[in-house]
Amino acid sequence: MAYACCAATKNILRVSQFTRLMSVYPSHYVNPIVEKNLQSSKGNELSHIPIKAAPNDLNDTIFYGQLKQKFLNYITKKGNAALAKELLTKTFEIIKRTQIERLNLGTADQEKVITDPETLLVNAIENSRPLLTLSAIKRGGVKYQVPIPLTERKSYFLAMKWILEAAREKERKVKLPDKLAWEILDAACGQGRVIKKKDDLHRQCETNRAYAHYRWS
Amino acid sequence: MALRVFALNLIKTNRNLLQSSGKINGGCSVQVVTSATYATQVTVEATPAAVQKQKVSKAMKAYLKRANEHDEFMKTQHLDFQIGKRHLANMMGADAETFTQEDIDEAIAYLFPSGLYDKRARPAMRSPDEVFPARKAAEFDETGRPFHSMFYTGKPNFFQLLHDIVTETKKLNDLEERMLRRGNKPDDNQKLETAGFQLLPKEQLERFLVEHIADIEYQSFCSSMDRLIASPYAYKSRAFIERFLKPLIDQSKQLEVPKPKIDEQGRQYVTTYECLRKTARADVTVRLPGTGKITINGQDISYFSMEQSREQVSVEDLIKVVL
Repeated sequence: MAYACCAATKNILRVSQFTRLMSVYPSHYVNPIVEKNLQSSKGNELSHIPIKAAPNDLNDTIFYGQLKQKFLNYITKKGNAALAKELLTKTFEIIKRTQIERLNLGTADQEKVITDPETLLVNAIENSRPLLTLSAIKRGGVKYQVPIPLTERKSYFLAMKWILEAAREKERKVKLPDKLAWEILDAACGQGRVIKKKDDLHRQCETNRAYAHYRWS
Repeated sequence: MALRVFALNLIKTNRNLLQSSGKINGGCSVQVVTSATYATQVTVEATPAAVQKQKVSKAMKAYLKRANEHDEFMKTQHLDFQIGKRHLANMMGADAETFTQEDIDEAIAYLFPSGLYDKRARPAMRSPDEVFPARKAAEFDETGRPFHSMFYTGKPNFFQLLHDIVTETKKLNDLEERMLRRGNKPDDNQKLETAGFQLLPKEQLERFLVEHIADIEYQSFCSSMDRLIASPYAYKSRAFIERFLKPLIDQSKQLEVPKPKIDEQGRQYVTTYECLRKTARADVTVRLPGTGKITINGQDISYFSMEQSREQVSVEDLIKVVL
């Protein structure tokens, strides 16, 4: 079964070619195309343009997922990506075990129980994505909390950040994979601390909708 | 402005009158066929009056002087180049008649070896047309009237070009309309190839037009050309468009495909030495009737202890390296 996360997630996390960041490459260099099925269609144009080297993190295998890779990057501390990968693998193992247990117990609806941890991670992130946020805007000497829309990238970032934050708020003896697994399962089901945080934010935005026009003054 | 005065004077026979009329007209030369003074009629052939001395403005004078000096200068430079070429051919022992620019480059590189990094800083001998920037020929005539209708824009060539692009675009749009009405479609076989090309960069366009162009103006040129190229019938204006397309280098065509060798078992193989990645060095051998197995220093893919490294090295890619 192909990993749905590879195909389902949109390519919003890729850095736009139009943003000029610090780079060892001159500005006319383009990003490489790693996906094999896209290489034949777009490869012809790229053969005449200098291409940047593909990052080590990218590959065109069933093991790669764009959102999963981004999540790994957020788990990584002090460049220890190998440890982050181990932790996430253990997290996925725990998720899988839990879900299979639920499936075998047969209490819940059998079709609805998803056992694939990658899919559950994607679902968790999508469910906990905020769409609006509050921004402090000063009008007439008073700072109002004005609801403003979030860009896609920012909302994905916040979702993943909140899930990890919730997972790290734990007792010393509890291991991260355990806590993270439970947070992901909760968020995928639409319950838990992360979903509560998102809903609180949305509720605040709703109550402050009167100030929405302050965005443009 | 020169005034050409055509004077037709019927002059009476009276010579005195003739003399006085000559004085009145002030230098109007009239050829008078005078017969005897007793004649009653005199036929005067009218000729253009002495052309008034054209008052050429100082600016015009200076311009003409500069233009002439430049022409003289270029002539001497061309002559020097030709003589130099013959000397060089003589030195190299080659035939002076068939001495091409490439031969010149080789000869100069041999006689004046240079270790300078930038190729443009090294000694070179090129035709004066390439060395000295092109100048526009006279843009106006002796009377000061410009030849180009857009002379007073300051950049007649550039704006003429933009007008031409728009004309072509309109032509193609009209063609598209007519084809749609008839139910015809554009010919896919003749489609304009733009993949390996880019629009002429600003510096090259400036050299082409012999005019200085602002960045905004270059952008408008680019957007107009993109519009023209995007038309489905762009291949009809191929000659016009291709003047402004610069070919890009195909990276893959620069690479040399190595020839396979045969080993003891009769299998073909290719070994690439000194493959680099950071401080790692590897000699990679690929065999053609292969098994798909990877061996690294005697070990299989578990040589890479990190899972991420193993994922990065996709097995399909290795087999795809076809000789």
